[in-house]
Amino acid sequence: MRGVVKTYRAGAVDVPALKGITLDIEPASFTVVIGPSGSGKTTLLNLVGAIDVPSAGTVELCGQDLGSLADDALSAFRARHVGFVFQGFSLLPVLSAYENVEYPLLLVGMGAAERRERTLAMLEAVGLSDQRDRRPNELSGGQKQRVAVARALVKEPDVVLADEPTANLDTQTGAAIIELMHDVQAKFNTTFVFSTHDPQLMSHSDRTFSVRDGRLLSQTAGAPS
Amino acid sequence: MTMLLKIAWRNILRNRRRSAVTALAVAAGAQALLLFGGFQANIFTGLETGAVQRSGHLAAFREGYFLYGAGNPSVYGIDDYREVIERIAHDEVLAPLLNVVTPTLALVGIAGNYAGATSAAKTFLGTGFIPSDRVRMRQWNEHGVVLATAGEPPLKDGDPAIGFVGLGLGRILGLCGQLKIADCRQPPALPERPAVNAPAEDVAGLQEASFGSDGERAHDGMPRLDLLAATAAGAPNVVSLFVAAAHPQGVKELDENVIGMHLSLAQQLVYGRGKPAVTGITVQLHRTRDLEKARARLASLFRQQGWKLEVRDFGELNPFYVQVKQMFGSMFLFIAVIMGVIVLFTIVNTMTMAVLERTIEIGTTRALGVQRAGIRRQFVVEGALLGALGASAGVVVAALAAFALNHAGLSWTPPANSQPVPFRVDLWGRTALIAATWTALTLIATLAARVPANRAAKLQIVDALRHV
Repeated sequence: MRGVVKTYRAGAVDVPALKGITLDIEPASFTVVIGPSGSGKTTLLNLVGAIDVPSAGTVELCGQDLGSLADDALSAFRARHVGFVFQGFSLLPVLSAYENVEYPLLLVGMGAAERRERTLAMLEAVGLSDQRDRRPNELSGGQKQRVAVARALVKEPDVVLADEPTANLDTQTGAAIIELMHDVQAKFNTTFVFSTHDPQLMSHSDRTFSVRDGRLLSQTAGAPS
Repeated sequence: MTMLLKIAWRNILRNRRRSAVTALAVAAGAQALLLFGGFQANIFTGLETGAVQRSGHLAAFREGYFLYGAGNPSVYGIDDYREVIERIAHDEVLAPLLNVVTPTLALVGIAGNYAGATSAAKTFLGTGFIPSDRVRMRQWNEHGVVLATAGEPPLKDGDPAIGFVGLGLGRILGLCGQLKIADCRQPPALPERPAVNAPAEDVAGLQEASFGSDGERAHDGMPRLDLLAATAAGAPNVVSLFVAAAHPQGVKELDENVIGMHLSLAQQLVYGRGKPAVTGITVQLHRTRDLEKARARLASLFRQQGWKLEVRDFGELNPFYVQVKQMFGSMFLFIAVIMGVIVLFTIVNTMTMAVLERTIEIGTTRALGVQRAGIRRQFVVEGALLGALGASAGVVVAALAAFALNHAGLSWTPPANSQPVPFRVDLWGRTALIAATWTALTLIATLAARVPANRAAKLQIVDALRHV
């Protein structure tokens, strides 16, 4: 990110969310963005994930200047290169666990046989092979987040963005999810970027960015002290 | 595509009650349109059958007769009608299409009943025809409808003196008792006046169609009318007609004016001792769908032969048929518009609710890489599915309702009919009506879904994900 500014319009008032952020995220790292509520963590992740556009500055991901892409091209870019894990799981309620994991593969036009193979492997990796036909409302919070992680990773993206992925989970389940993400990150060599308040999650960090009031306060290697 | 349909179907099932109410609204629209359309189709086929039985599918007239000839049928007569009929009947294109080709003579005049104490006269609209041809025409029933009109009294080819009158004309001419007309009483006794001879003295000598005492005996019991008309030469002429029966015409104006008679009697009245002619050549086909083909061939034949004849179809000859069709067409359109608007708003409302409830899902799928068009497609497919489901249910319910109505023993009196007929909804076999209704409602539902679908597609991902 280079000099990224993001301003939201709330009625007649401009609300600055990011005030000129410049940072680099190392490939295949386990990166954490920390900061108090309203500091701009989620906005930062949204911009990295190409689901929002900066008011000023540039965001480059996988060698691609995201500002140069039109909406459909951005969608195609996300489908290929970015995975998301949301705080509220955000699984599609009408699809089973298997179908939720398979869904991103349909978006990249993968053939049926490969799709099935990858989906089953990913469900196996997150320990949900026996729950694959269940709908999200039939799964526990931890199981839902496992499905979400599997969905984010199944297409083998370059980067996975996770916005407070353990916020809605109890401590034990949260720890398990962190462990899971750490394992698959290592296995698939994927870049993970988290926003979090969770000390457990911070403790696994390769690099930590601290933001406050829309500005980058510090960046440190490893977990924050 | 499979996933698109799967998601659409599951989302419809997700809120079963709302989906059911929406589909029911579409079904109600389909049902209303199909039942009215089936009822309308029954009316149209009934009217068509009546018109074709009376006046055939096509009629050939001397050019100008249709517009001006009614005032002077003798001048607009077709002299060589036998040759024309012969040509038509043996034409290689027309012959297989034909059911009946027959001459007719339309005339106007005054009918008088001066028998006994009765003294009444009334202008009439007369039609001369060949009775056996008329019977064959009356048997035409391509659509198998039940007609409300009573069967015409059969005249005989070999007895040109007998005919029939409309019920109203029979009443006006004082024939209630003799013709046993239901709900018809003899007029009150007339005040004393000088004796009236029958017919009036100034035309008494004109009556050439004197059947004499033999004729009176041969038609014992039938009342006799004296028919007065102008001949081709402009002179008055009178013939006697023995009335076999009074026949209801369905419309008061016709009922009080119509006289049906043998062609030769009508020719005798109009042409006297001159060369007999006819005013029209009626063509009845086996099937109405051959009408345009037959019309074109007739026109071509007349051109080839140098005959100055024009062809009119039964719609032109029976403007009432066309007016009723137009009226019911307008009513159908009115109902269709109302149903269309109801379906439109119902689908817009349902899909708007769905978009609102699934805003976070929209944000999630967009974040996963679904394009705006994909979101739009998802909701449009759901609207189309709801429309198709409702329309299909409407078709089934309409078919069941039509069956129930057709077997409920209901009856009604259609326009231009004199007697009640079974109430029927002709839905069976109306593939075009069913297909058009189903397609139109599904299409409206699809288009209606586009409005909220567009709104869903335009959502900003971050706003959608933040939606509470």
